[in-house]
Amino acid sequence: MKRAVSGLLVAAAAAIALGFLILPMLAIFLRVPPGRLLHLLTTSIVTDALVVSFKTTAIAQVLILVFGTPLAWLIASRRFRGRGLAITLVELPLVLPPAVAGLGLLAAFGRTGLLKTSIPFTQTAVVLAVAFVSSPLYIRAAVAAFEGVDPNLVAASRTLGAGPGRTFFRVVLPLARTGLAAGEALAFARGLGEFGATIMFAGSLQGVTQTLPLAIYSAFAIDFDTAIAMGALLVVISAVLLVFLKLVLSWRSSGPTSSFLFARST
Amino acid sequence: MKLALAVMLALVVAATAAASTDTTQPTVFAAASLTDAFPKIAPKARFSFAGSNALAAQIRQGAPADVFASANTALPDALHTDGFCSKPVIFTRNTLVLIVPKSNPADIHGVYDLRRKGIKLVIADKGVPVGSYTLQVLKNMGLSGVLKNVVSRETDVREVLAKIALGEGDAGFVYSTDARTVPNKVHVLKIPAWAQPKVQYGICIVSRSSNKPAAQAFIKRVLSPAGQKMMLRYGFLPRVKK
Repeated sequence: MKRAVSGLLVAAAAAIALGFLILPMLAIFLRVPPGRLLHLLTTSIVTDALVVSFKTTAIAQVLILVFGTPLAWLIASRRFRGRGLAITLVELPLVLPPAVAGLGLLAAFGRTGLLKTSIPFTQTAVVLAVAFVSSPLYIRAAVAAFEGVDPNLVAASRTLGAGPGRTFFRVVLPLARTGLAAGEALAFARGLGEFGATIMFAGSLQGVTQTLPLAIYSAFAIDFDTAIAMGALLVVISAVLLVFLKLVLSWRSSGPTSSFLFARST
Repeated sequence: MKLALAVMLALVVAATAAASTDTTQPTVFAAASLTDAFPKIAPKARFSFAGSNALAAQIRQGAPADVFASANTALPDALHTDGFCSKPVIFTRNTLVLIVPKSNPADIHGVYDLRRKGIKLVIADKGVPVGSYTLQVLKNMGLSGVLKNVVSRETDVREVLAKIALGEGDAGFVYSTDARTVPNKVHVLKIPAWAQPKVQYGICIVSRSSNKPAAQAFIKRVLSPAGQKMMLRYGFLPRVKK
């Protein structure tokens, strides 16, 4: 009897938790009829924001891959003084409030900032904001993926005459690619959702710096339905990214690195 | 297990009860430009300052506001028409100015200088009252072409102020009352009277307010001689043009 009651309680709590998470996303789609939703998505505010979002996020991801991968490899393969500190610093932007990220970017790259650049209000500013908040997700996953590569395989490659570069590209990268792809997908998703740092550092101008989240915020006060339409678009994009991520993870596990990122859905 | 659930529920109930405690003080949704003046008139009221249009949108979505004070009359009028608030009354007026950072990096000394290429002009979004007033000023002066120099459309007037005070933008349009709050950081450039839009602030009681007496009392206070005197002290204009 007692066990049945507690079982019921667990089920009820689980149902509430699930319902709570689903409801807001469902509500976005129920708010506006699908036909009108699609129509709203063709307005220039939405299409401009979509282009700005994907362009800036894509460029940021290239930067993250090019600069983040070597950093992750160094952290994963070397033991040096301050390694723990380096890891913590890399992870800090993850837990930093985006508004603080925006302040920091202004203080560093602003016209009156440390480096005195004229980056604010440009698309470059959006790219930097996105890169700053999303790169830790990739670097973290990449460090874990590299650490999961069997050092014996690396050693064998070197013994067989492959140089460090060849070993990295032919042995390490293929072995770590699942973890890298997963981290990259996460960073991409986080980048698309960036809001706080962008609006502070880059401002908001349609077709230049106004990304989808910024356009939602601007439309919210003017035209709620258009905001809802963009919200629906982002829910769909996020869902696609998540499914992609799960697919990547199910292809081939690169050791113990990938499973902690997400619960398996199979 | 059961104990844990009970404790959790009790905590949630306690927390939300504390958050929704009904005091005698109203919740006032007010235009960002009122950020400094309003708390001086009613120090104990709860305030939410933002772009008037964002606040109006929140009220339409059922936000728990008692009073809505907007930087124009169009937004409260529309809320009134749709049954979301009482008939608005005008409680103050304002004027627009052009501001530049104290260092004046783009060497701007008047509105006509905005025509120069490459200037970083920051304005408010067109849905925000100060944004539409800005468009009006530029139209009145035959300067709509300078809109190509706009680098950002901000969500309320204080965001415009911040971007200029910080020196990131070269120039921006704000209310004269906002410019006064950071005298050490910005230079104020006047806009001729003939180009000024009619900036009137409307205030109303939100229909769904659960605290209408407090809302009523707040509005009365704003309209009272003492309230009006405080508004003047912060640079606002008398509600009726003399």
